[in-house]
Amino acid sequence: MNKRQPDFVLVLCVVLLLVVGALMVYSASAAWGSFIFEDSWYFAKRQALFAGLGLTVMAITTHIDYRIWKRWSLSFLLICFVLLILVLIPGVGLVRGGAQSWLGVGAFSIQPSEFMKLSLIIFLAAVLAERPEQLTSFKTGMLPLLLLIGAAFGLIMLQPDLGTGAVMVLTCMVLLFVAGGRYKHFFWLGMLGVSMFAALVAAAPYRLQRLTSFLDPWSDALGSGFQIIQSLYAIGPGGLMGLGFGESRQKYFYLPEPQTDFIFAILAEETGFIGGSLVILLFTAFMWRGIRIAMLAPDGFGTFLAVGIVGMLLIQVLINIGVVTGMFPVTGITLPFLSYGGSSLTLMLAAVGLLLSISRYIEA
Amino acid sequence: MRNRSIVNKRLLFMLALGFSIALILIIRLGYVQFSLGGWLAEEAEESWSRDIPFEAERGEIRDRNDEVLATNISAPTLLIVPRQVQNPVETAAELAPILQMDKAEVYEKLTEAQSIVRINPQGRKMEEATADEIRGLDAPGLYIAEDNKRHYPNGRYLSHVLGFAGVDNQGLTGIERYYDEHLKGDAGYVSFYSDAKGQRMPGMADRYIEPQDGSHVRLTIDDRVQTIIERELDRAEATYDPDGAMALAMDPNTGEILGMSSRPDFHPEDYQDVPPEIYNQNRPVWSQYEPGSTFKIITLAAALEENLVDLDHDTFYDPGHVEVAGQRLRCWKKGGHGQQTFLEVVQNSCNPGFVALGERLGKTALFDYIRSFGFGEKTGIDLDGEGQGILFDEDAIGPLEQATTAFGQGVSVTPIQQVAAVAAAVNGGDLYQPYLAKEWLDPEKETVVRRSTPDAKKSVISEETSKEVRRALEHVVAKGTGKGAFADGYRVGGKTGTAQKSKDGVYLKNNHIVSFIGVAPMDDPEIVVYIAVDNPKDTLQFGGVVAAPIAGTIINDSLQAMGVEKREDQLEKDLDWNETPLVEVPDVTGMELRDLHVANYPLKLETEGDGTVVTAQAPAPGEKVANDSVLRLYLGDKSTEDD
Repeated sequence: MNKRQPDFVLVLCVVLLLVVGALMVYSASAAWGSFIFEDSWYFAKRQALFAGLGLTVMAITTHIDYRIWKRWSLSFLLICFVLLILVLIPGVGLVRGGAQSWLGVGAFSIQPSEFMKLSLIIFLAAVLAERPEQLTSFKTGMLPLLLLIGAAFGLIMLQPDLGTGAVMVLTCMVLLFVAGGRYKHFFWLGMLGVSMFAALVAAAPYRLQRLTSFLDPWSDALGSGFQIIQSLYAIGPGGLMGLGFGESRQKYFYLPEPQTDFIFAILAEETGFIGGSLVILLFTAFMWRGIRIAMLAPDGFGTFLAVGIVGMLLIQVLINIGVVTGMFPVTGITLPFLSYGGSSLTLMLAAVGLLLSISRYIEA
Repeated sequence: MRNRSIVNKRLLFMLALGFSIALILIIRLGYVQFSLGGWLAEEAEESWSRDIPFEAERGEIRDRNDEVLATNISAPTLLIVPRQVQNPVETAAELAPILQMDKAEVYEKLTEAQSIVRINPQGRKMEEATADEIRGLDAPGLYIAEDNKRHYPNGRYLSHVLGFAGVDNQGLTGIERYYDEHLKGDAGYVSFYSDAKGQRMPGMADRYIEPQDGSHVRLTIDDRVQTIIERELDRAEATYDPDGAMALAMDPNTGEILGMSSRPDFHPEDYQDVPPEIYNQNRPVWSQYEPGSTFKIITLAAALEENLVDLDHDTFYDPGHVEVAGQRLRCWKKGGHGQQTFLEVVQNSCNPGFVALGERLGKTALFDYIRSFGFGEKTGIDLDGEGQGILFDEDAIGPLEQATTAFGQGVSVTPIQQVAAVAAAVNGGDLYQPYLAKEWLDPEKETVVRRSTPDAKKSVISEETSKEVRRALEHVVAKGTGKGAFADGYRVGGKTGTAQKSKDGVYLKNNHIVSFIGVAPMDDPEIVVYIAVDNPKDTLQFGGVVAAPIAGTIINDSLQAMGVEKREDQLEKDLDWNETPLVEVPDVTGMELRDLHVANYPLKLETEGDGTVVTAQAPAPGEKVANDSVLRLYLGDKSTEDD
């Protein structure tokens, strides 16, 4: 098989998003950085470092034949399950932001759930490519996969991390749908999802509060609605052109941690509707190239792997921007390539590397 | 792959779904930034900005001739922004002695978890010197805000009308309260952008919104009249040690209040030193009591308007009492006034005579007139706390109630109602709404921005009736019970009143409110003066004895101050047994000394200067003086006079 050059448009989109992200991380975190670490470049420097590391990893995975991962998919999955269990052990997992979801020491820590997302995608892609026709049967096709997904989801919810869990489940559903799952199965799954969600809300009332707060954040402006209001206070004044780079007001301690989950708010504040839309369009272009790779992939594994990776990234984009603009309740999902965050950025770029690896084998 | 086509179809579907989602996100972003943007920007602005207020300057209160009655003096206020205080320990040590406070207390204020802290009362409305000292510290986080406090240059003068403003420059009583909205203006502020931790946001300019000063108000009060009133009430208080006193002067042709005072009074800057009832009770508008005989003016006017009496030709015999519904109502004079014309009934303030007038009117007409003269409802003067008086319930009026009402007993009215009613009775019949705020001035340009105009609410009686009322009232002063109010050349008319005070429905013994309501000059009234003294001590408690002379002095001095011409053709005063007749001073200027036959003049002559010709004299020709007064002549040379 002839090897091609990796998809240039896709690389361009990712690099542009990374550049925008690094700039915005600098601007958004300057105040917090100098407040906490007396270094306004603190977050930006680290973001650049992780982006560089991530790009290196991406270059490596790009040049590894993606089909290798098929062989390792089960091992990865098992390792991830072990890690997910480990993280729940008190004293082993680190608690950050109310969830016990980190393993490691200080800056050198990872979120097993992030790795689980990718492992599960690789594993499902392998399984679906192997026996695609089985999916039409519920008992032998859908059910085992759903149980697997459910197990992973359950472990993540024990941390608890609804956001990551939801992204993972939705990504898997996209994968199963593209692979030819039956509509009626999805209908019943949807019903199940709704009732499970209701049960989850009933179990932890703070989720319901998050849910209602996004409908009318001003009803509890200092409590559950606080983040959304502060986010809207950033986006609203941005207008068409924005306040200009570095001119954000909300980054001055109004918006908590503006460099992570709410980086899009600062982007929209400083660069306005134009900047915000351009970033959305870059993600759209990324999606177009990604799905194109999926359609032209030489085998089922490549197709499903590509769809899984693109789906995972774009579901995060949808949820993050939806939250920041007040369409969804606050979930704690970062914006791929833009939000500050070391290990997840590296992992995402590694996944993009997989995508680019597939693009080298497309049949066009 | 067998199902490749299904997969590709579903991939295309996902692509379309992705595009749609991207579009939705962009639309949502646009909605937030454009549709909600303006509102969000305002809300956000508010959450970022911290305001340091700049108080507006309260408008001045002035009299009709621009004499300043209430103004402001600079009194800066200290504002602390704790987050910006860099060294609270050091700053507290420096600030404490300036404010004469404890160091620890100041430290506490400097570190309070508030965006802006004030120190009450030490840091509030400080002396300018104190503020300068604080400015001199140049300590971050301390701000001196321009502020001022109210100053009443004339002290207790006009205190009930002016009222006072509180520590926040908010009007609390009187004109200060009634017109607070106009006087107070709108506060401005310096607004700086703050981060969520209270620090100045870097690179953001402060915004200064200028305060809008309040408008000045020019009252109808005439400072000269008010000064006379205050002086006379001081004298009355010193002479009679009364429970209270009040005076009210109004222009009968407009309803403009020229002067108003109430005792006991207070100093507006130290209002806390007196009990609230003192500063809250502006007696001329607040108090309501039986008017007594002053009310007879209303009965008189009504009877005249209805053509029920001819003052000169109808006569009445007063045996000293009158029998009404089995009750014996006495005249104030024992034994009665005997046979009188109705003009003499008015002059003598004869109660049975007024009962007769009341009977001629009948209850419906009498009470209709009383109501149309404005009794039983507030006049609507621009002051709070006005009383409305009490009239008999229509159904409860029997012959006895009708009879007592006719001479001013059994009804309850306010002084301001009486003044407005009497003004209508003498001004040709127009009932004016009394008012105090004459003009509003722009605080900077001093131009008139709003002006009150006289409001004649209704016409109550005809000009002819009014003329007859004036004639009768002039007789009361020249020949009757009101002689004490006589002011030579000013044709004073008026009516005395002596009202028994009652407590819990029982009349008190030897405890009266004695009053006089006077008008002058009677050919063309320019002032109505009401004066009442509550329970004067060591005197006959009669209006004619206590109140009339005070009213006479106020009228005389006020008209002179206002520059009103003395009249030639007045009704001459009947002399009481103890009075010496007045003689008119002859004009002797220009006469040769030797032509002056000293014996021809009932005055003692004294000369000054060398010469043979009178060049000047004092008093001036035409003045009335007692017949043994001194006429001072200034002598000079005739020839030099001619040059």
